[in-house]
Amino acid sequence: MEELAVVGKSVTRIDAEEKVTGQTVYGYDLVLPGMLYGKALFSTRPHAIIKRINTEKAKNYPGVHAVITGADAPWIHGETIKDTPFLAQGKVRYVGEPIAAVAAVDEDTAQAAVALIEVEYEDLPAYFSPEEASKPGARAIHEDYPKYHKADFIVTSPLPNVCEHFKLRTGDVEQGLRKSDLVLEQRYRVPAIQHAAMEPHSAHAMVDDSGKLTVWVPNDAPFRVRTETAEALGLPPEKIRYINPYQGGGFGSKGGLKVERIAIALAYHTKGRPVRVKFNRQETFVSTSTRHGAIVRIKSGVKSDGTLVAREITIYWDAGAYSEKSATVCIRGSLPSPGPYRIPHVKVDGYAVYTNKPVAGAFRGYGIPQAAWACEQHMDDLAKRLHMDPLEFRLKNIFVDGDITYWGEELHNVGLKETLLRATEAIGWGKTEKLDPKGFKIGKGFACISKPTRTPTTSNASVLVDGQGKVTILAGTVEIGQGCSTMLSQVAAEELGVPIENTRMHPLDTDVIPFDSSTTSSRSTFHMGNAVRHAAIHAREQLAQMASGILQAPEEHLRFSDGKVFLKKDPHHAITLGEVIRTQLGPDGVVRGNGSYTYELGKDVDPQTGHSDHASAFYMYATQAAEVAVDEETGRVRLLRVVAAHDVGKAINPLNCVAQVEGGLAMGIGAALHEELVVDNQGRVRNPSFLDYHLVTSLDVPEMKTIIVECPAPDGPYGAKGLGEPGLAPTPAAIGNAVANALGIRIYDLPLTPERVYWAIQAATD
Amino acid sequence: MKRPEPFEVFQPVSIPEACELFRKHGPGGHFLAGGTDLVIAIKEKGLVPRYVVDLKKIPSLTGIREASDGSLTIGALTTMREIETAPLIRRKYPFLAQSAAEVGSIQIRNRATIGGNMANATPSADVAPALLILDARVKISRSDGEKIVLLEEFFIGPGKTIIQQGDVLTEILIPPTPPDFCGEYIKFSPREMMDLAYVGVAVGVVAEGARKRCRDARIALCAVSPTPIRTRKAEETSNECKPISDVRSSAAYRKEMVRVNTRRALLNAAAGYVDNLSWTARRDRRYS
Ligand SMILES: Cc1cc2nc3c(=O)[nH]c(=O)nc-3n(C[C@H](O)[C@H](O)[C@H](O)COP(=O)(O)OP(=O)(O)OC[C@H]3O[C@@H](n4cnc5c(N)ncnc54)[C@H](O)[C@@H]3O)c2cc1C
Repeated sequence: MEELAVVGKSVTRIDAEEKVTGQTVYGYDLVLPGMLYGKALFSTRPHAIIKRINTEKAKNYPGVHAVITGADAPWIHGETIKDTPFLAQGKVRYVGEPIAAVAAVDEDTAQAAVALIEVEYEDLPAYFSPEEASKPGARAIHEDYPKYHKADFIVTSPLPNVCEHFKLRTGDVEQGLRKSDLVLEQRYRVPAIQHAAMEPHSAHAMVDDSGKLTVWVPNDAPFRVRTETAEALGLPPEKIRYINPYQGGGFGSKGGLKVERIAIALAYHTKGRPVRVKFNRQETFVSTSTRHGAIVRIKSGVKSDGTLVAREITIYWDAGAYSEKSATVCIRGSLPSPGPYRIPHVKVDGYAVYTNKPVAGAFRGYGIPQAAWACEQHMDDLAKRLHMDPLEFRLKNIFVDGDITYWGEELHNVGLKETLLRATEAIGWGKTEKLDPKGFKIGKGFACISKPTRTPTTSNASVLVDGQGKVTILAGTVEIGQGCSTMLSQVAAEELGVPIENTRMHPLDTDVIPFDSSTTSSRSTFHMGNAVRHAAIHAREQLAQMASGILQAPEEHLRFSDGKVFLKKDPHHAITLGEVIRTQLGPDGVVRGNGSYTYELGKDVDPQTGHSDHASAFYMYATQAAEVAVDEETGRVRLLRVVAAHDVGKAINPLNCVAQVEGGLAMGIGAALHEELVVDNQGRVRNPSFLDYHLVTSLDVPEMKTIIVECPAPDGPYGAKGLGEPGLAPTPAAIGNAVANALGIRIYDLPLTPERVYWAIQAATD
Repeated sequence: MKRPEPFEVFQPVSIPEACELFRKHGPGGHFLAGGTDLVIAIKEKGLVPRYVVDLKKIPSLTGIREASDGSLTIGALTTMREIETAPLIRRKYPFLAQSAAEVGSIQIRNRATIGGNMANATPSADVAPALLILDARVKISRSDGEKIVLLEEFFIGPGKTIIQQGDVLTEILIPPTPPDFCGEYIKFSPREMMDLAYVGVAVGVVAEGARKRCRDARIALCAVSPTPIRTRKAEETSNECKPISDVRSSAAYRKEMVRVNTRRALLNAAAGYVDNLSWTARRDRRYS
């Protein structure tokens, strides 16, 4: 292969200067001519029938243009289960559910009018735990669940409030456990957390005279949300246009219809004027989405030589009041929950369960972190009982090339072992350099994961080259801060041989840009990277054809570099790309290359057994390790060092890979030590602000070492896999193992707050 | 969030003028210093002022001065950042500089004032314990004159002080301390910064002679009772405080942390000052 010019180089992000100088206009900053301002009224009850809503006073408030309730927006949406009203339909299911909305001349007026809306409730019993809600005899939160329209892969359950039941059946677990020398059963818990993207949620919507709906919103899947909107409103997709301004972070929270649906509902009542609905931080915390709280029961059987024989897992995913992405989180989070290990007998039951809590949805990692918190600590405890080193125990069982997984897929290009060896080496596993300082216990721990990506999915792209030699990329990947625009520019620049400065991304608009599935599931580098690469190659082929006439040389003798095309043997015999186009197509000529990529191989996951011979286009492997010092007198966990080794296939931009991992680590550290969305026994979120919801600060993040492992995926662009999500997935488990290593005490619940650790130490010494 | 009602803002240039504004306009007025508590109260906690009197145009409210007897006067508008960085404070009372450095972030500390921290009287006010062990007094001006009271008598409940509508807290007065006085402030919170104290402990000891015999020990706490408190029955600190359980931590845990951190602070204070420590290095001492 020829040497790569820009791919594999740590080029500066193309959006860096614009962003650090504050010029970027994010969705939240957007101002549209003639716009009105919307505000919503949210439920104050966790589960209640709405007896009456009185909007008279709000309607008469000066400056108000529209006041709407569920009756004015009788639409239901849902990506896989259509269970979510735009505005509550006669019933509320969580504190924070939108009930009514106002559009007015300014935000203060809208808010004042919202305060005048009167709601009379009749309370119903509420559930705040997925175990309680799914006990036989529990009252249904969604009475009409059986009648809801569902995607065909949804598996229902006779248990109440279960919106998806994932099943994996391999071998015979009972028999496997019986044959084992050691059986261990444990129960781990993970609380709900919130994405806390820097930019809160906002959307602008307008319905024009032709009936076309335009929505401006930083959404991570503009085409998917267009489909979801079209299905809900009963409109053809071409009657809906999504325009995607810059997004100030999302981490999974900015997909589907959240604030969008309030803006859309209002736009149908404001006669052609756009409406803006901005959520404040509290509304973002409570009324968008959270990461699934989870209860994981795990039981394993091992041979005394450390061979894993059987594993049985039951996970309760706390879906909150509506299904959102719960079904797919349940499927893709439960499927690999037994961990990246060879196990002959496996049984997994994942239940996504409705509760009367804020809605849980997609969150960077998509179920992997919750399962890893349980599985990876469980692995350490098994090793301890086997008197085996946790590293040796894992090496004996981890996935390697050629393994057939417990879901029936043959694995290739598995970089897991290398991540495991390099991360543990970097943390100095097995070495004790320091003696515990007085009052402190030092410990080390590590954890491994493998993460699938949503499969199959599609990306399309176009690349335009103009008479100035400038390249415009049309791709539906959303720049959510992850650096995709730089990565895609590198790919196009590489294939066309132009300087990266000559490329630009076209703004994202579903009326212009070709279809892309989503910017989720760590899929964009792999899928869109391939699509843009194909589009650039397609454009290059056309240019080569044109240039071959001008340069009087066959196409295969041409080379593209530095914005020029020339003879391989005689680089001075050159012509710029712009000149090629101007000569052949005139001064305003444009060459358009199109590319498309779909990964579709093998069978979908079987709903009864969980089996698939190709569950994912690629797998992301990682091992992270941590060193902690636990202050025994206060329970405070101080992180000394973290190491993260990630198999990315091929680092298209190594610096950006490191940045992704470091950002992931910071999030993972927050989830490990601080973050929990506290919901009280009346369904109210008690800490919906950064005062009491603790994200990590720069001082809470220790020295971080990122190790990039490159075990190429033959189907990925230049061998690349994905990296968006795994950065935070093993972090809490690695820290949990380090704490257990330090104290000799296992803590089963997150987060590891000083208070939780303190009482665990007290309980162990009593 | 409620719709903020419009209100008038005044900017007097002297203390008498400030007091006069209150006399003239009657109830519903609030002083504004750095605004890091007041603006949030208006925007997020439903406080509806009728009018606001901005103190920042009054020159006499700023500055840190040392008198010949060693006593200090700190103007109420002195910012946390000034207290944290002032060479005089860092030399004489590094733990006071430390307590100011523990407040919020640098951006907050550039605005937040020491007068605002006292007048706002949150139970977790970080600078209060350090001032309490220094036997600090506050000077209060009102239309009919001035008075000086012990800080300990100034706080009366969460968010409540003896200040009456229109009283200006003008100065914090710190009397001279014995030559061997040494103090320490430990803020205990789960995060390294930008956090409210679960427990804040300030201690001061006077250790005499080569054998460091302790002649006097003072302990003050914040975040564990309705107001920052000086614990007079020093050996019983855990019993004197009355912490509450909230979303951050339980009362039982706070009590335990009072015990642990008071002991650590005392040991650190007894060990004496280490010169020129950065505040992050200094705060790491709470772990030892
Ligand atoms: C993000 C953030 C983090 C914070 N972190 C901390 C922390 O870690 N520790 C901590 O202790 N505090 C913290 N605070 C609270 C706040 O910053 C401090 O209490 C600060 O010292 C208040 O001072 P100010 O000048 O801003 O007061 P203002 O908001 O201007 O005033 C507060 C109150 O005091 C009254 N007032 C102010 N000055 C006078 C005066 N001279 N005479 C009479 N009345 C007066 C005002 O009328 C008002 O009622 C934080 C605040 C924020 C927003």
